Amino acid sequence: MTEFLQGLLSNINPYILQIIVNIGIGIVLALGLNVITGLTGQLSLGHAAFMSVGAFTSALLTIKLGMPITLNLLVTGAVTALVGALIGYPILRLTGDYLAICTLGFAEIVKVVFLNLDITNRALGLSVPPANSAIPMPFVVWGVAILAIILVSFVYNSRFGRALKAIRGDEIAAEAMGINVARYKVQSFALGTFLAGVGGGLYAHFISYINPSDFGFLKSIDILSMIVLGGLGSIPGAVIGAGVLSAAPEFLRFMANYRMLVYGALLVFMMLFRPNGLMGGVNFTDMVLRALGRKPHLKTVLQNREVGK
Amino acid sequence: MKKVTALLLAGMLAFGAAGCKKKEGGEAAKAAGDTIKIGFLGALTGDVAMFGKPTLEGMKMAAEELNAAGGINGKKIEIVEADNRGDKQEGASVTQKLISRDNVVAIVGDPTTGITKVAAPIAQKAGVVLLSAGATGPGVVENGDFIFRNTLLDSVAIPACIDFFAKDLGYKKVAVVTSDNNDYSVGLSQTFRDAAKGKGIEIVADEKVKDGDKDFSAQITNIKAKKPDVIFYSGYYTEAALMMKEARKQGLKANIFGGDGLFSPKLIELGGTAVEGAMSALGFSPEQATPETAKFIEAFKKKFNGAEPGLFDAQGYDGVMMVADAIKRANSADPKVFKGELAKTKNFKGVSGTITIRDNREPIKSPLALLEVKGGKFVLKNKVPVKMD
Repeated sequence: MTEFLQGLLSNINPYILQIIVNIGIGIVLALGLNVITGLTGQLSLGHAAFMSVGAFTSALLTIKLGMPITLNLLVTGAVTALVGALIGYPILRLTGDYLAICTLGFAEIVKVVFLNLDITNRALGLSVPPANSAIPMPFVVWGVAILAIILVSFVYNSRFGRALKAIRGDEIAAEAMGINVARYKVQSFALGTFLAGVGGGLYAHFISYINPSDFGFLKSIDILSMIVLGGLGSIPGAVIGAGVLSAAPEFLRFMANYRMLVYGALLVFMMLFRPNGLMGGVNFTDMVLRALGRKPHLKTVLQNREVGK
Repeated sequence: MKKVTALLLAGMLAFGAAGCKKKEGGEAAKAAGDTIKIGFLGALTGDVAMFGKPTLEGMKMAAEELNAAGGINGKKIEIVEADNRGDKQEGASVTQKLISRDNVVAIVGDPTTGITKVAAPIAQKAGVVLLSAGATGPGVVENGDFIFRNTLLDSVAIPACIDFFAKDLGYKKVAVVTSDNNDYSVGLSQTFRDAAKGKGIEIVADEKVKDGDKDFSAQITNIKAKKPDVIFYSGYYTEAALMMKEARKQGLKANIFGGDGLFSPKLIELGGTAVEGAMSALGFSPEQATPETAKFIEAFKKKFNGAEPGLFDAQGYDGVMMVADAIKRANSADPKVFKGELAKTKNFKGVSGTITIRDNREPIKSPLALLEVKGGKFVLKNKVPVKMD
């Protein structure tokens, strides 16, 4: 089994494989933030901090215990979710800018804590040994990414997901409808940070060396850009956003030093022409069904309606 | 209307950039065939571009010199560059690209320990030589027999200097300052503390700062109260210069001493008279230079309008020269073959010092140069021999 999968990978150019794995990790991270910011409407600027909690937890589980990667990622996710819930409990009472500033502050605290803990080797960071797994890492990353997509899709259409959407729409109205806003917010924060932790664990094992300075404010903004570009609250949007922004720095490489300038320009134009993001306000399932001819095209629906009149 | 104009501008920009690059690509393609490709790994944009850019400059100078002399074994050297912005994920991608797309035989860089640690397992697995021109931290060459570096190691430099300090200069009380968000600084301070044990040196203060700090008044006040003979700062020149300005303002007379992180013309530029007497331990000296170093400094000044070369220029230059030397001796550009010769490098007359690769593949540079700022210039204070064991 292992050899067969390894054989499959050896057919892919390692450079392309690297980008594909980066996209997979990006998807897990973006989906996590999409639950918090996209679905529940709580702006978090500290997603990278939760990613670093996950990365260090996961690295330490491998270094100290040699835990198999699947169990490792589950424990990592749970630890990160616990941290997320503990942080979320007090700060989710805030809204808007205040919450954003709080998450920003939390991210700084996490960084400083890791820079001063002996177990995380201070600023020297940790070298992470290869994951304890029979399956090659790229498959693990994409397996987790697909599971994350399924999990978040499931949440979207559940009672829990509808409650979160109600909170995003109007907190007071949601509360009036009997939704326990505080509890649901903390739960959504825990779910989002669970995915951030798992993403961090994948990052740590794939990159093989982590340092507290890797998970700064800019990393949080990178993840936020992914979901804003894709369309806030849209799962296919988060996936596409993560794909585009993880791959863009490499595909733009032919432009040499202009590359990050063009990358920035891309974001600006995206926001000018599609302020809701690539997939914002698009019903992906309907779109696919229509493209497959399983559902009548919108135009035909409207025409039929005209005729019906 | 605005949107259209903006779109046009973006389009022009993109095409312009693409156009520029195409020309270079054409030239490179022409030269291919009989070339040996050496990859550059480092940041050309972003926070750590100050290390990446000079490394690349040095590498290009080395390649030009080698090519002007007819190349190695009749083949021209080509430097393949790619920016990694100091980002680890991108560092990994760039390493993969250099190896699998550009088919380089060796990679010189990254100047920082972090990305070198990310790139090393990739290069080792692919069987390509990686020579870091700047990584000083632990856990680099341990990645395997394709991994090298040509920097002066702190664990070698600091103990040698401490002996000189304790015996010749009579320093007894030292204040240690660490930049705790800088891996180089945290590692170097630890090395200093370990090396100071049993040498009759007392660490009277242990202060922490951060890279990017501007105000050091609290730390200097604490240090001043302890009356140290010298301040040991393990970080970089920017903070060192500002720290010394504050020290002089508060009337603290002690001088600052540090590793090669302090060696930069910028230290004097920023610190002015406050950094007079500052000391830095280095693998080479611009004064009383070896013929190789003198030649390099002269060539560099000619090329960059009189600018003095820094440490990273020299290390990037040496990186390419060491690889070229190994290829020449092995008479093969196959990394699996010339890595053995690279490991046997002995008394290599580099511009950043005389380099010997020891059995554990760690480099050693001897003698060390202890430089001191005097009259707004780095001058040689003492040459400190390093024990070879």
